[in-house]
Amino acid sequence: MRRLGLLLALGGLWAVAASAQGTPASSQHFDHWRHRKVFPTCLSCHPGAADPSRSFWPKPEQCESCHDGTVEKKVDWDGTPPARVSNLRFKHDIHVEKFRKKFGADSTQACMSCHSRAGAAWMEVTRTVPERCLDCHGIQVAHHAAPDSACATCHLKLADSKLTEARIATFPKPPSHDSAGFYPGRHHGELAQSAKGAEGKPYAVAPSCATCHARDFCLQCHVDAPEVKAIQALDPDPRSLAIEAKLEAPASHQDPRWQARHGGESRRDKAACSTCHTQQSCLACHRASPAVAVAMYPAGPGRGVGARIQRKPPSTHVGKWADEHARVARSTPNSCSGCHARSECLECHRPNAASADGYHAAGWLARHPAAAYSRQTDCAECHNTAQFCTSCHQSSGLTSVGNLLSGQYHDAQPSFRLGHGQAARQSLESCVSCHAERDCLTCHSAQSGRHFDPHGPGFDAERLKKKNPQMCSACHGSNIP
Amino acid sequence: MKRAILGLALLVALPASLRAQGYLLRLDGRLQSVAYRGVRLDSIPLSAVDTAANGALYSPDGYAVACAPGGAYCSFYRAGSSVQNAPATVSGDLTMWGLGLPGLSVHANARAGGDLVGGSWPGTEPAFQLLEAYARYQRDWLTAQLGRQVRRGRLGFTGFDGAAVGARAAGLGLSAEGYLGLGLARGSVLPATSNLLNPFDEFQPTQRQLVAGVDGDWRFGYGDVHAEYQREVDRDTHNFVSERVGVTASLHPVRYFRVDGGSEYDLASGTWGSSEIDVTVTPHRRFGASGGIRLYRPFFNLWTIWGAFSPVGFHSYRGSAWVQPVGRLELRGSGEHYQYEETLTSTALVSVADHGWRWALGAGLGLGPQWHTALNYHVESGPGASSRGWDGSVSWTSGTTLTLTADGGYMERPLEFRYEQSNLGWAGLNGDLKVNERLHFNLSGTWYGEDRQRPDASGFDWSQTRIVAGVSWLVGSGADRLSLPPAVRRRDSR
Repeated sequence: MRRLGLLLALGGLWAVAASAQGTPASSQHFDHWRHRKVFPTCLSCHPGAADPSRSFWPKPEQCESCHDGTVEKKVDWDGTPPARVSNLRFKHDIHVEKFRKKFGADSTQACMSCHSRAGAAWMEVTRTVPERCLDCHGIQVAHHAAPDSACATCHLKLADSKLTEARIATFPKPPSHDSAGFYPGRHHGELAQSAKGAEGKPYAVAPSCATCHARDFCLQCHVDAPEVKAIQALDPDPRSLAIEAKLEAPASHQDPRWQARHGGESRRDKAACSTCHTQQSCLACHRASPAVAVAMYPAGPGRGVGARIQRKPPSTHVGKWADEHARVARSTPNSCSGCHARSECLECHRPNAASADGYHAAGWLARHPAAAYSRQTDCAECHNTAQFCTSCHQSSGLTSVGNLLSGQYHDAQPSFRLGHGQAARQSLESCVSCHAERDCLTCHSAQSGRHFDPHGPGFDAERLKKKNPQMCSACHGSNIP
Repeated sequence: MKRAILGLALLVALPASLRAQGYLLRLDGRLQSVAYRGVRLDSIPLSAVDTAANGALYSPDGYAVACAPGGAYCSFYRAGSSVQNAPATVSGDLTMWGLGLPGLSVHANARAGGDLVGGSWPGTEPAFQLLEAYARYQRDWLTAQLGRQVRRGRLGFTGFDGAAVGARAAGLGLSAEGYLGLGLARGSVLPATSNLLNPFDEFQPTQRQLVAGVDGDWRFGYGDVHAEYQREVDRDTHNFVSERVGVTASLHPVRYFRVDGGSEYDLASGTWGSSEIDVTVTPHRRFGASGGIRLYRPFFNLWTIWGAFSPVGFHSYRGSAWVQPVGRLELRGSGEHYQYEETLTSTALVSVADHGWRWALGAGLGLGPQWHTALNYHVESGPGASSRGWDGSVSWTSGTTLTLTADGGYMERPLEFRYEQSNLGWAGLNGDLKVNERLHFNLSGTWYGEDRQRPDASGFDWSQTRIVAGVSWLVGSGADRLSLPPAVRRRDSR
């Protein structure tokens, strides 16, 4: 084991040494400060800054006049300019000329005005100092707080630049992006569409957006990208994905009652929803009522994926919800239909037999007489008594045959039919699962039989006669009292 | 059967023939095999009847018989031959949208079935049943539906062939809907004129009734209120078949507290129908309780004479509670006491109880992520019928694919008004195989063994074996809508 560790360590050292040998030795930049006493002007090395017909960079022979290996050691400058990519919209010669005309200064002052900090010594050169640019262009705020129209003065659109993804990923975030409502919120969209140029002409999209972003960036969130003019005004550029945008739910979605309220909100402002939600997003839950998703855009090319929705039960569906749901379903059936297809209800609440046994507990068939007789639940809500109860009772022999007086079922009480009234009034639904109307009319008819009056407490004859006199005529014929 | 096959073929072919942007089709097939002993009505001459010491009447071979006063014959039931049934059903539920007109969707739900061994299993006729088939057009403030529809609200299960139009003011939380059409029978997708709904050959309408109604909803921050009015009119006589109003409300003024209630009023008879109010509290996710009062009153359409017999209702008090004291152990209990209204029919000959009660206790225990057990005990005691017994189950799940459940139980069920005290035991095995989100198989078998304790030869049992096989196949145009949690209570979670 120790031997193996030693071999690995040696191997690692060899790899480090080999990589060090391959490191180029000529990666140093030109040190302007060390040459401050050698060069009195900038144009002696950078003639192209004022004359575009000439090279921007010094020729190797100029360097070799000193760095000949005797006076000074040789340098490996071959005249090839460094591969430096920027997104600046800039031409040196034009700037130098304008500077001269404006300030009457020479080219050296023109160069130093941008490439050194205020009050810096001669040849204390830096890369371009943005604040100096802003000073000259009359912009009184910090670089990244510059107005929307100002960015394009100096910068190319991202899509027109040659910047690498790695460089784009390091773009600093402007302070505006931290303002309230910028994101999540609508403020960023308002800014993107409200920028105006010097003559008051509105931009299709704010140059400040286009400087750092392209259309692909927006597609990380925006489902409605094809409908948003500002997004369409941006050029497509996958490099813009180097800046990652994360879809965040707005504050309204944190409200515990949001699940119940979102339907109304979506009808009130469907554009707000369609920014982040696709049709598929809605249908994750609303599969039973796909029409609610019509206002949203279907997912597809040119649109963002949008918010991914996971169906989850609302806060009411806790505890013994399966036993409790009937009351709520009765009161607000439309709420249920938002997420549940009617076929899901029918899995348990079948309107007839020979179907799934999901609703009733195991052994229900054996247990149902007691529960049905005392109406533990309302059987008739799901079952048609004639179609369901009677047909099964018939095939089981639980039915009246012929005259009621034969009474072959209630055989434990020979006098049952003489005192059946209480049972009949208490559970008439159970009686009619085996008995037909004619069984009762044998005695309870005003026209024949024993003329027993079946009307009991609360019977409003006048009222029922007005509603349906035909019911009265079944017993009373045409002589309805 | 031809109509059934044609209907199913249409249902399956629709998605292919119509260019819908999206559709969802669910097909369910189910086959059940049932074997049990039937009964046969028999009779003997009155002169052959024996009289026991207590006055009961028997046939010479020991059957208790019932004799009509003045009749020459007495009747009784004998054990019949063994009966075999094999009901099979196939149902399809289809939703299509994106039909070219924004907001337009089509829904259809149909079922075909029959008894494969030639018997007549309840509910398998007619062979093809169209539960729903309607087109829906929905815009921001408007919804319109045309076709066969089923409405399930406070007033029950109402099916009709017609139109419904609704409007809503989302900002105010208000919505209203009206509907009109030719009605179907209560709790059925068959018209009231169907012979299948008239097994006794009794009074039956000759034409389908006209059904019309309006619903209104008001949703606000702390609840919902729903009201509905419905009337059914006999097109033949122009008499009312029913006229009712119902209102329900669900209020949740504070978190973990809810009040639900509702009531019905029968405008035709001038009586209050079933009503209830319940309070539910869930102060903690491991504890909850509810309690309430309830009035139950049966409702009959006016084209029957049953309303004239003045059926009475009952008032009840009920409550339930559940608690999860530790881990995945859940204890639950519920109870209800009910008292019938005065019937004004007391007689010295027969005494019928006027109240009853029921209660149940149960426990569920999850043993790790794969095992779950449940044990329940219930007692029901009241006029008409009673029962007491226990049931239990053990289920194992592999995760999302396979679930196996074994369940069983035992109960005593004395039946009032007749000579019967039966003890019944049952045991079953159930397997659910979810091949993927789209395909789901089920196979179960249940054995019932009954011991009837009758003092005569009619004590034959009701023992039987049932085997059920089912398959569900979901066909959809979008995979996003498939990974949904089950919204229905399964066998292992009861």
